[in-house]
Amino acid sequence: MQRPARGSGDELILAPPAAAAPRARGLAWHRVNRVQERLLGYALIAPVALLIVVLIAYPFLNAIWLSLTEKMVGYPAHFVGFKNYVALWESARFRIVAWNSVVYTVGSIGAKVVIGLAMAAALQKAVRGNQLLRGFLLLPWVIPTVVIALTWRWLLDLYRGLVNVGLHDLGIIGAGIHWLGNPDLAMFSVIMANVWRGFPFFGVSFLAAMQTVPQDLYDAASVDGASAWQQFWRISLPSIKGVVAIVTLLSTIWTLNDFNIVYIMTRGGPGAATHIFATYSYELGIQSQRWGMAMAASMYSLPVIALLIVFVVRYLHREEPSS
Amino acid sequence: MSSRAFRWLVVSGLLVLVAVPLYWILDTSFKTGRQILMSEAIYMPRPFTIENYLYLFEETRFAQWLRNSTVVAVASTLISLAIGSAGAYALTRLRFPGRRTFGALVLITYLVPPGLMFIPLYRTFIQIGYSNSLGTLILAYPTFLVPFVTWLLMGFFRSIPRELEEAALVDGATRLQTLRRIVLPLAAPGLLAAGLFCFTLSWNEFLYALIFIADDSLRTLPVGLSEFVVSDFAFWGQLMAAAALASAPVVIVYIYLHKYMVSGLTAGAVKG
Repeated sequence: MQRPARGSGDELILAPPAAAAPRARGLAWHRVNRVQERLLGYALIAPVALLIVVLIAYPFLNAIWLSLTEKMVGYPAHFVGFKNYVALWESARFRIVAWNSVVYTVGSIGAKVVIGLAMAAALQKAVRGNQLLRGFLLLPWVIPTVVIALTWRWLLDLYRGLVNVGLHDLGIIGAGIHWLGNPDLAMFSVIMANVWRGFPFFGVSFLAAMQTVPQDLYDAASVDGASAWQQFWRISLPSIKGVVAIVTLLSTIWTLNDFNIVYIMTRGGPGAATHIFATYSYELGIQSQRWGMAMAASMYSLPVIALLIVFVVRYLHREEPSS
Repeated sequence: MSSRAFRWLVVSGLLVLVAVPLYWILDTSFKTGRQILMSEAIYMPRPFTIENYLYLFEETRFAQWLRNSTVVAVASTLISLAIGSAGAYALTRLRFPGRRTFGALVLITYLVPPGLMFIPLYRTFIQIGYSNSLGTLILAYPTFLVPFVTWLLMGFFRSIPRELEEAALVDGATRLQTLRRIVLPLAAPGLLAAGLFCFTLSWNEFLYALIFIADDSLRTLPVGLSEFVVSDFAFWGQLMAAAALASAPVVIVYIYLHKYMVSGLTAGAVKG
């Protein structure tokens, strides 16, 4: 960090008077500076690089190695090749986990896209109080996920939860519904909590994109007699499809390896009805100490995650001006 | 259906959907244990009591968790801001070989889900003999905060006109002086927004805190809250009071933050 500071003194001495030769001065300044610039660049990026290497890349590569080993208590880990992967592939429980992860991800994101689009369409017209309304609707996205998961667990409590009591008082149901005790309903419930947490972000992102569409397009369409529904399908939706795609991709990456909501609401149960990749890895690793197996289970989601990451990186790099 | 009716229907539907669970938190938190246990006074606490809130501070480690959460969130935010802003500046303003590759690498690490990283990180902390300390979390959180901050601030730095910096450089200021006197003040709103985002992400983080910390006295709020539920039984009154208090700081931060939100989101913060 000292070098550039000292270099700047030389720079001033080296630079000829501006009035005499402005071009030459610029060139000289650039030549001295190019080396400084590189050094400063590397110095400033070094902490980020160190963090990525030590706390992301190394642990991750190490974990891939771990997934190829087996460790018994009292013995060192030894290499077993793809044994863990094969064992998981053949395990009925793991197949349920993989399928659940897909259902959880597709169900959550599908619902979030639909509700988010409805929210964006409804808030698109500038109405007084919109700002406040939008601020309020975003609250689920702000408060801790743990709070949300615990609250939903309590909302869905069999005897005393607001949902069952409310539905009963409205005369819709007789006996309480086993939201978290029935396998199908349990999956529905964790998806519901996830959607509740995530739809506001989808809605606000879509809304921001819709608001960049020129008003003239809508005016022209109105003149031509297009209904609001047609305007939504023909104008709004096509112009925000990039944002819909990127939000969906990002959310898929994180939802496929989601942990908090399922862990707190059901612990993966009943049975394995809501177990997904991360909760299952937790069970295998943290609870059973079968680290190789646990990491192998996580790795099964990696090809999909990697593919999606490639899509996102390419998309965002295209958007980004190459400065 | 007319578009006006549609709008009214969607808006009121979403309002109810968001308001009901939030109301349920506050509603429960002000009820007595008896009202909750016997399902009396479901929709309104009658009588209204603050005993659940008092209980948290008198009978549980809530104050301790609050302190731990604050220490971890503030420290990891400051570290991440320092590291991330330097990185973002280098990646947007300085030319050096490998810059573009590095930019992509930051984005990739930003996208890696914590659900995939918790075992690798945990094993690494065990290897180096540094788990079960608040410091573990202060080291672990930057793994997702720094890529996020860097990515967010790259957008902010790009929006600052280069000419201002170039003018300062031509006048003989060093790069570091330019960074300190010109770029940072102009990027202050971005730094603030990034810092508040980091604080919120750290404050809400659960998975790493659950796994890396074993001592009850070192727990952060989200983990402390989750421990209230023992098998199928929970003290819902106290728990909802704790939920309300744990949410309060981030809601306050958000009220301030939300004007930056849409503009500064870039790749978004759907994470977690």
